[in-house]
Amino acid sequence: LEECGRISLPASTVRLGDSITASCTVSPNCSRLGSEAQILWKLETEPQPGERQRRLEDGSQESTITLPPLHHPRALLSCCLRWENTLQILDQAELVAGYPPAAPHNLSCLMNLTTNSLICQWEPGPDNHLPTNFTLKSFRSRGNCQTQEEPIPDCVPKDAESRCSIPRKHLQLYQNMGIWVQAENALGTGKSPELCLVPMDVVKLEPPTLWALAPSPEVAPPQPGCLLLRWELWKPSLYIDQKCELRHQPQLGEASWALVGPLLSQTLQYELCGLLPSTAYTLQMRCVRWPLPGQWSDWSPSLILTT
Amino acid sequence: TPLGPASSLPQSFLLKCLEQVRKVQADGAALQERLCATHKLCHPEELMLLGHALGIPQAPLSSCSSQTLQLMGCLHQLHSGLSLYQRLLQALAGISPELAPTLDMLQLDVTDFAISIWQQMEDLGLAPAVPPTQATMPTFTSAFQRRAGGTLVASNLRSFLEVAHRALRHFAKP
Repeated sequence: LEECGRISLPASTVRLGDSITASCTVSPNCSRLGSEAQILWKLETEPQPGERQRRLEDGSQESTITLPPLHHPRALLSCCLRWENTLQILDQAELVAGYPPAAPHNLSCLMNLTTNSLICQWEPGPDNHLPTNFTLKSFRSRGNCQTQEEPIPDCVPKDAESRCSIPRKHLQLYQNMGIWVQAENALGTGKSPELCLVPMDVVKLEPPTLWALAPSPEVAPPQPGCLLLRWELWKPSLYIDQKCELRHQPQLGEASWALVGPLLSQTLQYELCGLLPSTAYTLQMRCVRWPLPGQWSDWSPSLILTT
Repeated sequence: TPLGPASSLPQSFLLKCLEQVRKVQADGAALQERLCATHKLCHPEELMLLGHALGIPQAPLSSCSSQTLQLMGCLHQLHSGLSLYQRLLQALAGISPELAPTLDMLQLDVTDFAISIWQQMEDLGLAPAVPPTQATMPTFTSAFQRRAGGTLVASNLRSFLEVAHRALRHFAKP
């Protein structure tokens, strides 16, 4: 197919609110043409005045136009020719407009012992109207991340997700690492503030399992207004010293939660007293790595017991 | 950082080490359970003869035992021992598809533990300038030998960690 006309753009992506200068070159042997072809421009469906046209040495015609500031993220630019009372479209180009990516923010990470990975998430920032790639970057470090020791392979999130998981094989669980998020599009790069953390210090445990402790020859029945409880720590976390806390509230009524703790993880059973007699209570427990740093687990599923 | 009363080591370091010992113990136990369940290799004592033939080195922890407890010597031996087990576990690569994830996890955690100790020794200015001589690694020539070797290494590692745990608990005692 003989090429009649071709649009040239200095860049395919511009900043919203900027204008762009385009040129269209119409070849002399574009069949069925008159000697002085008049090149016209349309932006979407709107004719665009103000083009400048000249003949090139090879006989081609070149039209150049500076478009008004672009206020839409996408616009279709057409190079046309008036021919026998019709407007012939010779070429089209999609104008893409947007902003450089904002710096991602609210970066936070948790060490997940189920998947054995460090899961980080962040806020991507406002829509910049352009395809934007996010990459979680990190490095190993001694001290407080002032010096980079070994880079860790980039973590590229699945499509459009604002989270990424660094697998165990890239982690040293008890050493400092620097972490940040980089956003990149055609107009630039945005970098989040950097975190400096030790993976195990941001470990988030799964909640313990809470049970009623049935009276037995070894365990006397509970006193009036008391409940006998026991709990089992989440198995994958048994090697971690933890403390837990219990919260309870009467199942009916508006009373708020009452908190009991800390309950050291070796305790494993507890007599909760000071409750209303013959009353159903909702109980939940959560645990955290302790005395070493960690993140509280979620509250366990509720256990309903009656005094 | 508050120091462990029984030693000049930071308390947080000792607590981390105790946690890492327990983590490696859990990984080692998982490997032993799987070797027993999957390959019926449940008793290391049944593999003593093979163990001698393979020449599986053991890691000394004399400075960590209660009779001759000596802090810095214990740290050195702990690090050397962990480095030895790191290499032994590496030599077991290809043990079996079912065991590979468990072996990988154990090796990662042993490596992490060795690094924790090495960095603490460096911080204290005690890291040896010249790396200690390294024991020769056994050569496993069959899948069975790797599994048998795995059973023996896991068993030796368990004993090693028990001594280490007692010593670290002593150093961390308030």
